Amino acid sequence: MRFGRRKDVMHISEAQLTAMTANLDGMHQQALPEMHAAVSKWSEKLRDGVRQAGTHQSSRRGFLVGSGVALGGVALAACGGTDSAKPPTTTTSAGKPPAKSAPTAVQVGMLAAALENTAVLTYATALKAAQSGKLGPVPPAISTFITTVMQQHQDHADAWNAALPSANKVGKQVDTTVMDLVVTPAIANVKDIVGVATLALQLENAAAATYQKSLQQLQDVQQLQLPASIQPVEMQHAAILSFVLGQYPVPDAFSITDAARPTTDHIGNA
Amino acid sequence: MSIDDRALEQLTEESQDLHADAQRASAGPLAELTERGLERRAAGEDDVEANRAFAAERSRVARSRGFFSKGALAGVGFGAALLALMESPAYADQTADVQILQTAASIENLAVATYTLALTLPFIGGDSANVTIKNFAITTARQHEQHGIAFNALVTKLGGKAQTAPDPVLQGLVNQAKPGLTSPLPVVNLAILLEQAAEETYVANITALADENARVVTASIMGVEAQHAATLLAVRELLVGLQADLIVLPPPDLMALPPALGSVGFPEAFVTTQDARPSTEGVVK
Repeated sequence: MRFGRRKDVMHISEAQLTAMTANLDGMHQQALPEMHAAVSKWSEKLRDGVRQAGTHQSSRRGFLVGSGVALGGVALAACGGTDSAKPPTTTTSAGKPPAKSAPTAVQVGMLAAALENTAVLTYATALKAAQSGKLGPVPPAISTFITTVMQQHQDHADAWNAALPSANKVGKQVDTTVMDLVVTPAIANVKDIVGVATLALQLENAAAATYQKSLQQLQDVQQLQLPASIQPVEMQHAAILSFVLGQYPVPDAFSITDAARPTTDHIGNA
Repeated sequence: MSIDDRALEQLTEESQDLHADAQRASAGPLAELTERGLERRAAGEDDVEANRAFAAERSRVARSRGFFSKGALAGVGFGAALLALMESPAYADQTADVQILQTAASIENLAVATYTLALTLPFIGGDSANVTIKNFAITTARQHEQHGIAFNALVTKLGGKAQTAPDPVLQGLVNQAKPGLTSPLPVVNLAILLEQAAEETYVANITALADENARVVTASIMGVEAQHAATLLAVRELLVGLQADLIVLPPPDLMALPPALGSVGFPEAFVTTQDARPSTEGVVK
């Protein structure tokens, strides 16, 4: 990889960024109807659960078991209200993960939203660093990548937040486990665009693996559509990052879930 | 064009190692799927009627969404034959999962055949071809072959007959395209069409498959097809921009890559399934 040629170095201005984002809107519109349908199905299933829980207290477990998800701390909060003053977390009220039980749909959705927010924040930080010149010359293709992918992750986060019950919406909160263990230390040492791409590849692979894993965790078929429509997109992000980093873009014939984040990750403010 | 053959060889070897690792990783779910499928069948848990109803509903939705209304698919003219195929009682005794998996295998079979055909073309597989594109075609054909084997393993273990034929409708598109495959660009365009059809079909299959482990295997393949498509879209961008010399791993100069390369690989934030193939399109006749 060479950075010697300085031609076409892109210094991104606010106006350019706005224009690029506007161009993306058209593309996003194409995918919106199916995304809305997926979100709607997800929400509908969760609302059904809440409704059943509210009218038939004893049937709450029946719904959760019936839909194939185990009874976890967050699911209880979703069905019976939660302390909105506390940041939502996928750990139980006792501070321990719901060991040996499958994660609930709400936990899966919260983790997904938080991972998407983590990606958005990371790309936004990288963009800021690029604009300030800290990363050296930024190839135009990388600038486009960051703005495009950041918007797509924002769209994913918005979809998850729309699907989650009011009490469990993640808003702009991030996966603080990933932030603390992966992103923050990496950002502190990033000196060039290759460093950013390496970190981004790690996040994209983790997101893709997490979605793939969620397809095994979620038992209600109606709730599979949203993660299934996002997982390939994260894999595509990873493919282009791999190419940029000089790695083979499609390394595996079968994608695996080793890099999946667990629903025991903590969610909170960045 | 500067091509480091040794580096490419090394990359290919590494890719094959990773590929083998991934195959080993998928062996577990595959074995589990087949075991559980057989157990369920033995226990009479497969609701054939429900599966038939589901297949019928999916076919109905597929038709109402106009699977043949977009792009090249619009010109195929196989619509009537396909409708007849989907409604044929000859296939009504197969469970929906088996049909879906046979169709998936048929898509993989066609992909293998198409990449193999492409590799016979001098500008893809010949001495004068771009080595990175050639390497991609070889590796991708092998990956599709593995996908086909995986889908067929599921089919046979679930009591169906392995599908060794290509998807008939997509085969028609390939046949139509053949005379025009006179340079890398039309070949890449054709490959994109097949990869996107596979990707969308498998995304749709995630919610269509009744068997959990069939979903596990499908989920491990759909993103790979998406990566094939993303890579091909990026390659197309470089070919169209007359920058084939940048189709090299690692890229010789990141600064020279066109801005669009950062976005063409993922045109949508959410995968849509308008071009997903109908679940019975590739059933064994």
